[in-house]
Amino acid sequence: MVDSILLNPIYIIGIGLGTSFILGFFKSGRFQAHPSAMHSERIKTAPWVLMIGALTVMTFISAEWLWSFLFNGQLPQQIYTAGFEPPFSINLLMGRNEAFFTLMVNLVGLLSGLYLLDKFKEMGTHALSVYLVLIMGLNGIIMTRDIFNLFVFLEIASIATAGLIVMTSDVKALSAGFKYMIATGLISGFLLIGIIFAYYFGGSLNIDSLAEANLTTVQGGVFAVFLIVVSLLLELKPFPANGWGIDAYEASPVGINAVISSASAGATYYVLSKVLIITDAKWYAVTAVVGIITFLGSNLMGIKQTNAKRMLGYSSVGQVGLLLVILGLSEQLGNSFKFIIFGIMMSHYLAKAGLFWLVGIVKTGILKDWGILRKKPVLVFFMGTFIFALLGLPPFPSFFAKWTLVLTLSAAGLNLWVGLILFGSLIEAVYLFRWFGYVLKLDADKERSLSTPFYRTFPVWLFGLLSYYIGYVASVMVPGGETLGMFYLPLAFVGFLFIIDRYLPVWVKNTLSMAAMALYGWYYMAGLSEFRMLFAIIFIGGGIVTMIAGYAKSGKRVGFYPFVVMMYIGLGGLLLSENILQFFISWELMTLGSYVLIIRGKKSMPHALSYMMFSLGGAFLILAGFGLAFAGSGVSSISLDILKNVTRYSGLIYTFLAIGFMTKTAVIGLHIWLPGAHAEAESDVSPMVSAILLKAGMFGLVVLMLAMGSQSLGGVSLPYLLGWLGAITALLGNLMAAFQEDAKRLLAYSSVGQLGYVVFAMAFMSHLGWLTALAFALNHFVFKALLFLAIGGVVMRTKTKTMYEMGGLIKRMPLSFISVLIGIIALSGLPPLTGFAGKWLSYNAVIEKGWYFQGFLVSIAGLVAFLYCFRLIHVIFLGQPKDKFKNIKEAPIAMLIPQYILIGVIMLFSLMPNMVLKPIGEFLVQYFPDGALQWDGGTAVSSLGRWSGVAIMNITIGIFGTILIWLLFMSRKAVKVKQFNIFYSGEAPSRPELTHYGYNFFAPYKKAVGFLVQPLVTRFWDGIADILHSISDFVRRLYNGNGQMYAFQVILFVVVFSIFTIG
Amino acid sequence: MDFGLVAVVVGFLLILIGIWGILTQKNIVKIVIGFSIFDTGLHAIMVGIGYLKGRTAPILDSAVSPADALTSIVDPVPQALVLTAIVIGLGVTALMLAYVVRLYDYRKSLDISSYEDLKW
Repeated sequence: MVDSILLNPIYIIGIGLGTSFILGFFKSGRFQAHPSAMHSERIKTAPWVLMIGALTVMTFISAEWLWSFLFNGQLPQQIYTAGFEPPFSINLLMGRNEAFFTLMVNLVGLLSGLYLLDKFKEMGTHALSVYLVLIMGLNGIIMTRDIFNLFVFLEIASIATAGLIVMTSDVKALSAGFKYMIATGLISGFLLIGIIFAYYFGGSLNIDSLAEANLTTVQGGVFAVFLIVVSLLLELKPFPANGWGIDAYEASPVGINAVISSASAGATYYVLSKVLIITDAKWYAVTAVVGIITFLGSNLMGIKQTNAKRMLGYSSVGQVGLLLVILGLSEQLGNSFKFIIFGIMMSHYLAKAGLFWLVGIVKTGILKDWGILRKKPVLVFFMGTFIFALLGLPPFPSFFAKWTLVLTLSAAGLNLWVGLILFGSLIEAVYLFRWFGYVLKLDADKERSLSTPFYRTFPVWLFGLLSYYIGYVASVMVPGGETLGMFYLPLAFVGFLFIIDRYLPVWVKNTLSMAAMALYGWYYMAGLSEFRMLFAIIFIGGGIVTMIAGYAKSGKRVGFYPFVVMMYIGLGGLLLSENILQFFISWELMTLGSYVLIIRGKKSMPHALSYMMFSLGGAFLILAGFGLAFAGSGVSSISLDILKNVTRYSGLIYTFLAIGFMTKTAVIGLHIWLPGAHAEAESDVSPMVSAILLKAGMFGLVVLMLAMGSQSLGGVSLPYLLGWLGAITALLGNLMAAFQEDAKRLLAYSSVGQLGYVVFAMAFMSHLGWLTALAFALNHFVFKALLFLAIGGVVMRTKTKTMYEMGGLIKRMPLSFISVLIGIIALSGLPPLTGFAGKWLSYNAVIEKGWYFQGFLVSIAGLVAFLYCFRLIHVIFLGQPKDKFKNIKEAPIAMLIPQYILIGVIMLFSLMPNMVLKPIGEFLVQYFPDGALQWDGGTAVSSLGRWSGVAIMNITIGIFGTILIWLLFMSRKAVKVKQFNIFYSGEAPSRPELTHYGYNFFAPYKKAVGFLVQPLVTRFWDGIADILHSISDFVRRLYNGNGQMYAFQVILFVVVFSIFTIG
Repeated sequence: MDFGLVAVVVGFLLILIGIWGILTQKNIVKIVIGFSIFDTGLHAIMVGIGYLKGRTAPILDSAVSPADALTSIVDPVPQALVLTAIVIGLGVTALMLAYVVRLYDYRKSLDISSYEDLKW
């Protein structure tokens, strides 16, 4: 070890204080040079340079110490002031935690100091001095071990904060600052009483000596503990006594609230964590309760906000609440505690500072004006980074922290806490993703420009990149982190795509991405077997085929390819996963990638949000299920095999995981995101998300059902329930499809119905059932991709998705017509194509299982499928052509190529069904040995009958051929007429589409069964959203902006807190 | 009579009066005065806590020699703390008054309910 010369940490305080003293000698007021005096500019910024210099040295000292703690085995060092040991003097401590926290504070202080250059020019030299004192005070708060000294530093920090606000020239900010002073004045008063009583009963001001004095066991000492804890909690702005804090977030200049949010919150949190050692277990529990109330309450308030700074304020307070929960449960979290705090804290710190800085760059708090950020795609990228990091999505540190948190809490049996934390996170996601959606989609004010000087974007860049680096660090530390290597190379490629994204044309990126996926499939997937191989063919093989359609696009398509590849990496990752960590990361990567793909559609903003909400909700259920499985298997392992060994909570785990997976297969009740998301997506994205992505949920169900078999909850067999759910989904999904006017929505609803078949068939838990489901999954991919591509091509040309606006396109787009024709024959299960094989199998399976009533529903669903298939082809391609589409062209060749590849696949499977069914059947035998299909060459033999693909094809062609020849023969004398060669009655309908035969095509059926497809489920979820928003809107009236009201809330918090703790 | 106890009791009373003023007075100058009273109460409590019956101020001069200081002076720590607290209280009051001046400049009103711009 090289002896490094460590600077005494007291210099952090000394330099901060000294420099701000020196700054007082500079001429006060605005130091911006007069425009005519350019030469003196440099001299005038001298004070700012001085401050930055001081902050750099302070940052350096912390960094140096942290470095030696981490890598040189440095021991913690006590710094005694005035040469005495406590209790006769104040002592500071520089340990690993202190070095870490002071580095956080100083770094964000330094970067915000840079960022605020303009603002400081406006505010004058004194602001520099106060700002430096603020940072110094926060350092003191972290390092001091003396509780009265702590009070002094806290006062310095809050006076400095208020001092910075008072220097702004905005009356709103001033009034907020005054309220802030009233509240913090009261709080520090309570703290002071607590301190003096702690001294009286404990005989010392030193925190460690006070801890030894066991104040909570001393009569009267409890009172001191109570006052100290309640006032430190209040400093952290607990819900609902935090209106003053929220107002301050909204009021202070952006660089400063970056400091308040990330540095002050971090420092104050650390204070509480070190002072809590003078208390006992009860006070930790109380802290956790206050934390969870704050986390839930603040995030709930967040969803009604329209101003970015205020919303981020609520989010910050919420995050601190989460930190309090973790601190309060530190005993139960044991060894994982430090890692969890580290992850959550780092994500919050980097993301919140970054987002606040972005607010200053965008220069508006109004969320709906944020589309302007799109002028700088890099900043949109970093904004996404920060939002994903805040919400705990991979690969950011909070993801690994939350993962560990959930597993550890579950193992400790604290399931309620898990539920509440996940629920709060979901609420937080609502407003953060809504905001992100605005950025991605809403129109920007073209007049405004985005000024991004280097000193403002640099901090954003630095913290954005740090989020990834620290995410990597956290990923290595988490148990199972060593198995994440499988993501490195693929994600590195995603990073590469991001870098080249703005420079290369679409065909280059499309080719690169397809090549990369082929390589990914080749190197990673080649060793897979059975189920995994089957899904690999759908995910990767199917993905490559649909991507051919991407050549139809021109330009650069910025922001597309990285996310496509990310989605496929996620999908592939699911198949490669050996443990629940890999599986869950893959699940989230897939969700993230697909979210960005979906939101690219023109009108996709609300649909992408609901997609994200259902996906995250589902992901959290999966996480909770994994947590329970981790706890319930009794072995401390994260292997996916724990699902096989679950001894406790098995019904609950099954339910959570099944519902989580079914958010992706869009079972009825959880399907409302799907139609919009799939229909509004771009023409080559729809097949990806509808034909491929849904199968991820199915793969999840495969893993779950194979591992856990049949479980029951409350005496009800869960597969039986799933069977019903699947059957109802099939019927209702198809009915809804039949009543759509929009071609892509029709196809989207049809996917809902068809994934219903899959769930239904899997629920049999029998050989034939699973054979049906798996074969159908493959078929569904083929024909749904085909149909979406074909319809996508039509929509590209006609610029409308509404079917009755089309018609007679058969002559203009014959190739697309053939695609759709083949697609619907395969879909509806008519002989001779593949769908028929599925039908035949499923009838066998139903009869064998004896689920006749459900089977009946599913056959009705099959009949309904005929209806919408007929409508699709009839209304678009047959009938009278529209005048405006007279000269329309066939779909682009790049769209047609994948269609004809898929048609080739359909033909192949139809002729040789054994090619698919036989290998699937062979590996299914291991799991479901009974009732397997026998093969006699190309003929399948079940217990109920036999069926040969070639024979059926011959028979069908024979029958149809005969009829066709007969019809041609009969109509040989027919006269061809032109479209308008008819009698025109002269009537001019007011709404021509109402007289179009394609409008409300199945009106009679709708009258009969329309009640079944009332949007009850949509209303239900809308109702939930409304209730949440109303509660939020009602509760936030607590914060009526009156300073006395805020003071009263603080006092009330103290009173209520006392009732629950010492009362 | 224990002066320490008296100081503590009076201190708590002053704190209550201060809080009452902060919560009920609409005039922001009066609210600042409420804070001053609140602070004074705090200081009284601190001094009262450190008081030991029958002892003198913790100043080593001709009256108190270093040798018998331990038995003849009150606890010096709270006295030191109270000095610091007074200084901080002064800073807080000054800053609050600065706010009052600036707020008044903008709106010509001293009523706290005129300053409810940020809310919800």
